[in-house]
Formats: sequence, C-alpha cells, structure tokens
Amino acid sequence: MTDPDPVRLLVPVDDSVTLRNTVAYAVERASAAAADRPVELHFVVVTRTRSVSPDAPSELGDARDLLERVALWVDEDATEAIRPSITVDTDVIGVDRYLFSPGDYADTLLEYAADADVERIILDPEYSPGGAAPLLRPLEFELTRGDVTVEEASVDRQAKRTVLARAAPLSKYFTVFGAAYLFYLLLSTWKPLDFFTGFVTAAIVSVVLAPVVSGEPAAVRRTGGRLLRFVLYAVYLLKEIAVANLQIAYVVLHPDLPIDPKLVRFQAAVWSDSGVTTLANSITLTPGTLTVRVAEDGFEIHSLTEGAREDLFDGGLERAVRFVFYGRAAAVIPSPRERGDTGEGEDG
Amino acid sequence: MVEFETALLAVAAAFVLFATVALYRVYAGPTTHDRVIAVNVAGTNTVIAIALVAAAFGQSVFLDVALVYALLNFLLSIAFSKFNVERGNVL
Amino acid sequence: MTPFEWVIVGIAVVGAFFGAVAAIGIVRLPDVYTRAHAASKSDTLATVLAVGAAALTLDSGLSTVKSVFLIVFLFVTNPTAAHAIARAARDQGIEPWTTGTEEGDDR
Repeated sequence: MTDPDPVRLLVPVDDSVTLRNTVAYAVERASAAAADRPVELHFVVVTRTRSVSPDAPSELGDARDLLERVALWVDEDATEAIRPSITVDTDVIGVDRYLFSPGDYADTLLEYAADADVERIILDPEYSPGGAAPLLRPLEFELTRGDVTVEEASVDRQAKRTVLARAAPLSKYFTVFGAAYLFYLLLSTWKPLDFFTGFVTAAIVSVVLAPVVSGEPAAVRRTGGRLLRFVLYAVYLLKEIAVANLQIAYVVLHPDLPIDPKLVRFQAAVWSDSGVTTLANSITLTPGTLTVRVAEDGFEIHSLTEGAREDLFDGGLERAVRFVFYGRAAAVIPSPRERGDTGEGEDG
Repeated sequence: MVEFETALLAVAAAFVLFATVALYRVYAGPTTHDRVIAVNVAGTNTVIAIALVAAAFGQSVFLDVALVYALLNFLLSIAFSKFNVERGNVL
Repeated sequence: MTPFEWVIVGIAVVGAFFGAVAAIGIVRLPDVYTRAHAASKSDTLATVLAVGAAALTLDSGLSTVKSVFLIVFLFVTNPTAAHAIARAARDQGIEPWTTGTEEGDDR
C-alpha cells in the first residue's frame, strides 16, 4: 500500500480576534478531506520583525509562542478518529525580508506555498500581519497571482474570545488617546473649552489611528539607558551634519561640480525597526550619502563623492547607532570593511 | 542701522526667493520625482519663511500655520512615492 | 540692535546660506538622486538654524516649544521624504547619473 499524496493546506496566522475560529475551521476542512487522503496543515507566521539581518535576536519568540498555541488548538479540535492522518507543520517566514506592502506579504506566502506544494490557502478574515491597518482585501487580490486556491475561513466574527483578544489593542487605544490629549493640551491655552475640544480631538485621533500605531511595546528597562546614549549620539550626529553640509555646499557651489555619484550596497549589522530607521535617516543626513532603499539584502545607498563612500564603509555611524540601541558591547562589532563588505561591483 | 525685525524679514524674503529658484526645477523636470523633490524644498523654505515672519511680528500663531504646512509638505512626498510605486504611474 | 539680536540674525543668515545651497543644488545637480542629497541635507540644516533663530526671538515658553517641535519634526521628515522619493525613483528603474555617463567611458 502506497501513501497517496497528502492534501496540503496553508494557513497564515497572526494574533487576530478570529484566529481561534480560523484554526477550528481549518481543522474542519482537514477532517473532511482526511477521510481518503492524509492532510498536512501548514501554519505560518509572516513575521513583523523587519530586521535587516537574518540572525536577528529575540523578537521571534512571540511568533513561536503563537504557533505552539495553534498546534495545541488543532490537537484540541481534531477528533480521535482523524487525528492520525493530520500532520501539523509550523514555520516562521519572511524573517530575512523587508515587508512593506500587501504584495510583499503575498510574495512571501506564495513562495512558501510553492516550496511546500500547497494547494489551498485558508485566510483568517481578520488577518492583518504587521499590526497595521487591515490589508486582507489587497492581500487576497495579490495572492491570486499564484496558482493556489485562496479561501477565506467562514467564521463567526462574534467569537466568544473577543474580549480577551481585544485586551491588548484596547490598551493601545488608551495610549494613543492619552498621548494625543497631552499633546493637544501642551499646544493649547488651557482654557476650559480647550479641555473639551482636546478630548473630542484625541478621541477621534485614537479611534482612527490606533490600528496603525506600531505594535512594539517599549522595553522600559532599556529605554533609560538608550535615551542617555541617544544624547551622546545626537552630539556626534550634529557634528557629522555640519561637516556634511559644508561638503555639499563646497560641491554645489564649485564651478566644476566635482561629483562622482554611485550606488552602493551595504549590509548593516543593526536590528529592530527603530534601529534601522535611525541608521537610515542618519546616513541620509551625513556627508554625501543618501539611503535609497532598505531591502532584504541590506541598505542601498547613493553616495555623492568617493570620500563619502570611504566613510560609510569605515562604519562609524553604524557603530554609533548600535551603541545607542544595544550598549557598549555591541559597538565593537567589526566595521563593514572588516566584514569584507566593500559594496564593490554593486553600482548601477 | 538696521532694525532687528527688518533683518529677520529680509532673511525670510531670501528664503522665499530660494523657494522660487527651486520652482525652476518643478518647471524643468525632467521626471516627476525631480518635481516632487523641488516642491518639497520649496515647501520647506516656505515653512522657514513663515516661522521667521512669526518671529519678526511676534505672532506665535503663525507657528501653528507653519506646523500644519510642514505636515502637509511631508504628506505630499510620502503620498506621491506610495502612489507612484504601488499603483503604477497614477500621478 | 542688541548683541543678542545680532547673534540671532547671524544664525538666520547662516541658515539662509544653506537654504541657498539647497536651492542651487536642486537646480544644478544632474539627476534625481543627487538632487535628493541637496534637498535632504542642506535644507534640514537651514531649517534647524532659521527656525532656531525664530525660537530664540519668540521667548515665551509655548512658542519656543512649538518651534522646537517644528525643528524636530522637519529634522525627522526631511530625510524620510527624500528617502521615499529616491526609493520610488529606484523602484521605477531610473538609473543614477555617473561621471561615466557624460564622458562616455565606464569608470
């Protein structure tokens, strides 16, 4: 007796309100199919860690926890009879990419689907990876590019776990409301009317914008040290900016326009959204370099002069950003040049 | 002897002039990206000019105008690059 | 004018100088990426200096807070905007200008 080819279902998961029901639905579908063929259930988390480096630290823990929970639920839902014929596969994907648009997410999922030979994708109706605004519609549309059937799990949105699952986002609403209200009052004249209009404005702002606020909870323990180091960094950055501008002024006002622009690629050893953002903006502000793109294979940087490229690969800035976010120990990682990254042959 | 307020207004006028110079690039192009960068620079210069006028007249209300203008200016660049890249050449 | 006012005007004038660099750069530089250089760096410094001068002039607490906020905001958004536009240009396949382009030899 040969095993028939298994039915493979792919379910992208995210910490959504309807996740529990989606898992139940997927198991139901699997059970229906399991009568005559074995079933493989693939649960994947497209991670929101937009790290530039694949060996990024810690943040993947949450995704793993989620997948473990999902596996437990599958076990709970599957009946004794069909449990042997259902295999559960879990994975975290998209770690080494810069995910930005629904298209990026779709690409990642379709690639996985092709690798694992998946025939059907089951989508959670509340699926919104990255914790940003809902992107199910565009995502569904992008997924139709692949040769996989896409199906939305039919689940009751009034799930019984609604209240529990909403607890975290609710706190976000309050945080946004508080920040907006404080900011409003800071800029106002403290008349009684201001307190009222501020309340209304902050309420509107929190309702509209809380879903798009970045979901990373701040690590309070480390923030203090970071702030302190950031002040040191600001001084260093200001000096660099002054130099940058004198250079630009020289180049622009020179009658011959002595420039030698070139695009180079640069693998930065910086992790986390805020670290990457800080480094990208700092690169733009300092001598002769401009961040063009932050992609899975590193930063793409347009440099105006030869000297600017030298400075970039000496890695002073990169080191300083690491110092701010990870402390002194991280600052001593070798510079890009010492890591053998010279960006050669990457222009154009 | 120059008055302090007049000096500030003169600097503000200079920034308006630079904004006008940047408008040449809006006219000349050649790509939409060049135009948006030029509009962005013109917008930033306008924000600076408004802030300086606020200082010269002692009208801090103008700073609110400058803030909103800066917000709009940023939104323009971001909206442009988003639409242009992700929806094809809409603009 | 008092010496303090001279200092303020001095700062504003230096800011205007960099504003001029940004405007001239926008007109003179050869392609969209190099122009983004001028737009991001010089204009940001011009902002910091000129709005800083305004902040020093308006000495009441609230206006200073607003000016500082304006500076911080432009400080963050200017490079971001330049990056966004450069990224858009790159995604559309606009090739950067190099010295070779004009002189007809590769490097």
